[in-house]
Amino acid sequence: MAATAGPAQPWSAEELRSEALPKKDIIKFLQEHAAQAVRAGRGGRCGGGPSAAHRRVLQFLAEHKLLGQVKNVAKTANKEQLIAAYTQLFHTQRFKGTDGAEKAAEKTKPAKAEEAKGKAAKAEEAVEEGPPKYTKSILKKGDKTNFPKKGDTVHCWYTGKLQDGTVFDTNIQTSSKKKKAAKPLSFKVGVGKVIRGWDEALLTMSKGEKAQLEIEPEWAYGKKGQPDAKYPSTVITHSVTWKCWVEYSALRAGT
Amino acid sequence: MPEEQSQTIMAVDELQAIIQRCQILEETDFKGEDFNLFQVAGQKCLEDGYAAQLLEVIQNEKNKVIIKNMGWNLISPLVRCIFMYKQEDDKREHCLKILDQLAQLCNPKELFLGLLEQIEQTSGEQVCQTVMLLLQPLQIVLLKLQNKKAYSVGLSLAMIMNQLTPLPVPYTKQQIQEDKLGLCQCCNAVVDFAKPFVNEVVKNMEKSSEYNDMELKEELLKFCMKSLKYPLLTAQLEQLEGIEEHPFRHFANEIIDILWDIRELIPLVFLHRKGKSLHWENQEFADIEQKNSAESVACLSYLMFVQHFGIDCFPLVFSPSYLLQCNMMHIEVLLKRTEESMLSKGLDLFESCLLRMEDNSLLHQYLEFRDFINVPQDLVKVMTLCPIEHLRKKSLNILQLFIDKFDAEGKYTLFRCLLKTSNHAGVEGYIIKNIKDQIHLSLTKACDNIWFTGHHLISLLDLVLLLPEGAETDLLQNSDRIMASLNLLRYLVIKDCESDNQTGVWTALAKIEQNFLKPLHVGLNMSKAHYEAEIKNTKENRREAHSSNTVCSVTVSGEKMPAMTTEMQLQVLHSALFTFDLIESVLARVEELIEVKIKAVMDENS
Repeated sequence: MAATAGPAQPWSAEELRSEALPKKDIIKFLQEHAAQAVRAGRGGRCGGGPSAAHRRVLQFLAEHKLLGQVKNVAKTANKEQLIAAYTQLFHTQRFKGTDGAEKAAEKTKPAKAEEAKGKAAKAEEAVEEGPPKYTKSILKKGDKTNFPKKGDTVHCWYTGKLQDGTVFDTNIQTSSKKKKAAKPLSFKVGVGKVIRGWDEALLTMSKGEKAQLEIEPEWAYGKKGQPDAKYPSTVITHSVTWKCWVEYSALRAGT
Repeated sequence: MPEEQSQTIMAVDELQAIIQRCQILEETDFKGEDFNLFQVAGQKCLEDGYAAQLLEVIQNEKNKVIIKNMGWNLISPLVRCIFMYKQEDDKREHCLKILDQLAQLCNPKELFLGLLEQIEQTSGEQVCQTVMLLLQPLQIVLLKLQNKKAYSVGLSLAMIMNQLTPLPVPYTKQQIQEDKLGLCQCCNAVVDFAKPFVNEVVKNMEKSSEYNDMELKEELLKFCMKSLKYPLLTAQLEQLEGIEEHPFRHFANEIIDILWDIRELIPLVFLHRKGKSLHWENQEFADIEQKNSAESVACLSYLMFVQHFGIDCFPLVFSPSYLLQCNMMHIEVLLKRTEESMLSKGLDLFESCLLRMEDNSLLHQYLEFRDFINVPQDLVKVMTLCPIEHLRKKSLNILQLFIDKFDAEGKYTLFRCLLKTSNHAGVEGYIIKNIKDQIHLSLTKACDNIWFTGHHLISLLDLVLLLPEGAETDLLQNSDRIMASLNLLRYLVIKDCESDNQTGVWTALAKIEQNFLKPLHVGLNMSKAHYEAEIKNTKENRREAHSSNTVCSVTVSGEKMPAMTTEMQLQVLHSALFTFDLIESVLARVEELIEVKIKAVMDENS
């Protein structure tokens, strides 16, 4: 994964200005990137400490009057202001905190890659259809004894990210916006209810295991992507490598 | 002048009199007569225009106890007066203040009944205005109730929705902007009214993980389910140009927010037939409840998957096939309706589910689910019977989309099913064309598709290359289908060499000739003879006097159609002959090709 210069631009200049793009989408994107930078700033060992990144981000948001609930911000900010903020974000690459996270990830890559290669090789032998279209890096080992079988009900916590780091789906409560006791997602594994990358990968994960899965489009959303996704351009027009952090909280066999 | 003055003084005086009398009494000593006098006096003040004085009396600290007990009786005359006065009128202001005061001071239980009664009694154009006027005092009163709060909240919401349901839902952009009866405004006011109760449920849920008091939550859920059916199922929910804040889209969003907050959103979306109605012991009631909730849940799916309200809350990990499976029952519910608003939602929902899938990715096993067979048949009904043209066109497009998503065996099974059940020559012709395309793909692709070649294909062709009623088949009515079949046969004969015989058509040739080609010849000859005779008769009749002996007449939309002139009749008859000629020419071509190929093979062998 080459160190990119910051978050990818989801919208072109025309798309930004068009009526079809509502203000709240832009606001959400900007706020989410701010949140990303804060999280990255906290984890990275390079760059300023967490408070510095946090301050920088708050400064940016405050400057552009983007703090607060999306719908309230949408009422006060006009399109021009939002476009200005969005443009500035990419010109000045404000969120330098992301570099730190990427560098840290690169350091740990070589060790994980070996494991992933090993697993891929094994999978290759097993499946006639071809190599698995995902790679798995184990972040925390499970108990290595309890593995789910096809048809078992599994419960998991997850975060799905796009290549630029935007979180597009999660059931882990981070923001106070959706204040409710989060529940892990429960479903029968291995029977086609979820995208194939999940179905295949989860069968290789033991109870308590935490892993990062990079799933290729064919086993995720296909080359076309989700036609109605809330992240229009990135998911629709580019084929997506989907990163999924799957954690197990409990693994229960049976109905 | 003095008489009027004395009359007006009377109204206020009477009020003062009863007040003074009651001030010295104990609360428990208030008699029915006192209530009556108070109501009459108060009403008279209002009607005579002395709202200001009444307000003063009500605001007087000393009268607190009296108002607490007797105030609620004034609701009815008060509401009447408010609607009587114009917006800018001071008296209206006073009345509104009185209403607010009553909400603060009166016995909540009694005032609640008074308000509810008032809402129940309105009808027609007054409904929305009345509801919007009384929502705030109602809310104040409900928040004060201790026991039975949940029940009362539920009753209020049910009552309000009952009153709103008969009102027509604004559909076009103009209707929405006009909002003649105030329904758009009212719906959004009601959802605001419900918010403090939602917050209460949320707070209780956070406090204890075991949330025992389900009643308020259940009432709110009932309200949401009702709202999904009315007005949302009937409303037009697309973004409209020129309308910044579409009132029904806003309302839909709010309903979804409520469902999310009370933690019912995701469970509802995954609601399957088995499960929820455990409330009823009587199966009949359970079935009715299921039926009613089916439409609400279908609307909810539409809101989430087509309009994307609340899609943020929905996990993205599910496979498109699974999502289609979950939504089929909702699609079925919507496609069975005839109203444009509901049909179009069903079609949109179906389309959005299909667009998420890759072509050829839907496994044929899904056709074992009953709704996967029912829904395409419903589509066929829409495309052949629905009077609305754009819906007919759309359903045809969606049928093609559906076909495209299936794997080969799925396509095969679906084609068989539709050929047997559609009973419509146009649809059959369309399916037959699809079959031809699949055969073409099988013959041109490197890989061997067993479903559209060989014995599977022959079995399918048995359904295609035949005349439904043999030689007596109505060739005109079935012309679409017959032409498609002939084109298919022509394609097979040209493309598939007898030596290859990949499709197996050459082996089946004798059967095809017996079941299809021969009867077609006979039928064509008969039909042509018949129509030529008809033309001759019509021409002869024309020479005679134009008799107005109409044997039957045709009425369309209440208007009687003019009798067909002889010219028109001849036109129709000639165009029938033209169709027969067309069929015959393709038939001749096909037979020619067959002959050529057979001859070539025979020459080779000899």
